[in-house]
Amino acid sequence: MKMTRMRPSIALGLAFAALALFILLPFVQTVLLSFTLTLPREGYREGQATLINYATVFARPDLRDAIWNSLVYVLLNVTLCLAAGLPAAYAIARFRFTGDRHILFALIAFRLTPPVVLSLPIFILFAHVGLVNSPVGIALVHCVFNLPIAIWILESFIAAVPREFDETCFLDGHSFRHFFLGKLIPVIAPGIGVTVFFCFIFSWVEVVFARILTVTAGKPITMAISALFGFQTDIGLVMAMTVVSLIPGVAMIWFVRNHIARGFVIRT
Amino acid sequence: MIKPHSNRAWLLMIPALLIMGFVAVLPLVAVFNYSFHDIFTLDTALWVGPQWYLEIIRDPSFWASLGRSALFSAIVLSIQVPLGIWIALLMLRIGRWAVPVLMMLALPLVVPWNMIAGMWLTLIDPQIGLLGKAIATAGIGFDYKFTALHTWILIVAADTWHWLGLVVILSYASLSAIPASYRQAAAIDGASRLAVFRHIELPRIAGALSIVLLLRFVDSFMIYTEAFTINAGGPQGATTFISLELGEDIRSFTYGRAAARAMLDFLIVLSVAWAFIRIRAGRSTSPEATR
Repeated sequence: MKMTRMRPSIALGLAFAALALFILLPFVQTVLLSFTLTLPREGYREGQATLINYATVFARPDLRDAIWNSLVYVLLNVTLCLAAGLPAAYAIARFRFTGDRHILFALIAFRLTPPVVLSLPIFILFAHVGLVNSPVGIALVHCVFNLPIAIWILESFIAAVPREFDETCFLDGHSFRHFFLGKLIPVIAPGIGVTVFFCFIFSWVEVVFARILTVTAGKPITMAISALFGFQTDIGLVMAMTVVSLIPGVAMIWFVRNHIARGFVIRT
Repeated sequence: MIKPHSNRAWLLMIPALLIMGFVAVLPLVAVFNYSFHDIFTLDTALWVGPQWYLEIIRDPSFWASLGRSALFSAIVLSIQVPLGIWIALLMLRIGRWAVPVLMMLALPLVVPWNMIAGMWLTLIDPQIGLLGKAIATAGIGFDYKFTALHTWILIVAADTWHWLGLVVILSYASLSAIPASYRQAAAIDGASRLAVFRHIELPRIAGALSIVLLLRFVDSFMIYTEAFTINAGGPQGATTFISLELGEDIRSFTYGRAAARAMLDFLIVLSVAWAFIRIRAGRSTSPEATR
């Protein structure tokens, strides 16, 4: 009896150890290299353990600016997605209206539009209205795929709140604005957390739009990393920059760790 | 629960529709327009009708790369989806350890896309990479630059590493939402593990699964950054997927043809998604699938 109980748990442990090895190995490699001197410098020998790579990341203005630019447009994008996504999700969750099903399909279709397809006209359009080289432009364009995701997640959370909740609030004499901001948003806070997480990660890591919309200035982290590759690439510096770029994402994972496990239930 | 009909709900949609109109609808209309023009500069464009479309459709290399993209999607989906569901099922048995495992699986999702390939290329580098050194020590020849099979293995591995977490997160979230009483009832009836999965778990996670399938299909079908960084479509075009051909047209300033190619790619993706959603909708109206 004891043997049969032991066996699955050992097998289970092995399965997760193999998974951990597969997922973590590239990270281990990255972190190790980020603390290694990979280009020869005076007074140091190549391959030596060092903090120089991290010092360089924070000393170089172009790399510091890139971190700042990324933070700005991602925060803007998350704000836009919540501000436009919350009312839209509420409308879809609570009402039937003419064309509602078509809107949902259109939203899914836009989430499915490959960025490469839209890159050229978006560049021309944004050049006309002066949104190239600005974090605002990237924040706006990332709504193409983030706003549909936001509406879809928020809709499933709002739909899980019984409609009686709304009706009780209105009977108590609350205005729609007060109900929405003061009552509904606190109730679906876990859903907002999950939405922020998904919008954040998809915007933070995106490359295609970020590249075409930053010709001279406003370069985000992804482009700053690309720019580090050259004839003689300082792999240690690239990896240090990559590790720094992971920090906000890892913080996001930490904050929503319980919600992504429990709160994210998709209705069929 | 029946929702009340109210067209005033449209007012709540306005901010979202304005943004989507500006960043999605307008550009898409523009791509459609460009695809019928030969574009010399952005101000001089010559109407050429469906010429670009005909040229692309008659080009055997388009069909070859379309086939490669379809094969890549098929491989990626058949690895990541079953593996992801299996891991999610295993996670149900580890209790509170599920949270750290989920956090670990979410890590690759926050890596900048241009560094996914970068991290893997470094990992398999025979001079500095942990895996590369191990492979070299074991005496295994791995040459992703010149051996097509090895390039494919590398791209599939990097893509699986990147996206497995998303499959697991969505599967696990919907699996853990199944009430315990369902499984208890099945255990009393003496149902096998497979039967529980087929008749209880699979129907309950079908909604999440369809989203996973759709997202993974589109993103793998239009894979660009990883494939381009790893071998730029080589060796000898063996990993030239449709998005790489599109990227090539954009880089060479052949905007008209790029637009036509973009429209074709978009239509392929959209028709598969549409067929998929129709099949799902048809299934979910059958009595056994309703919840």
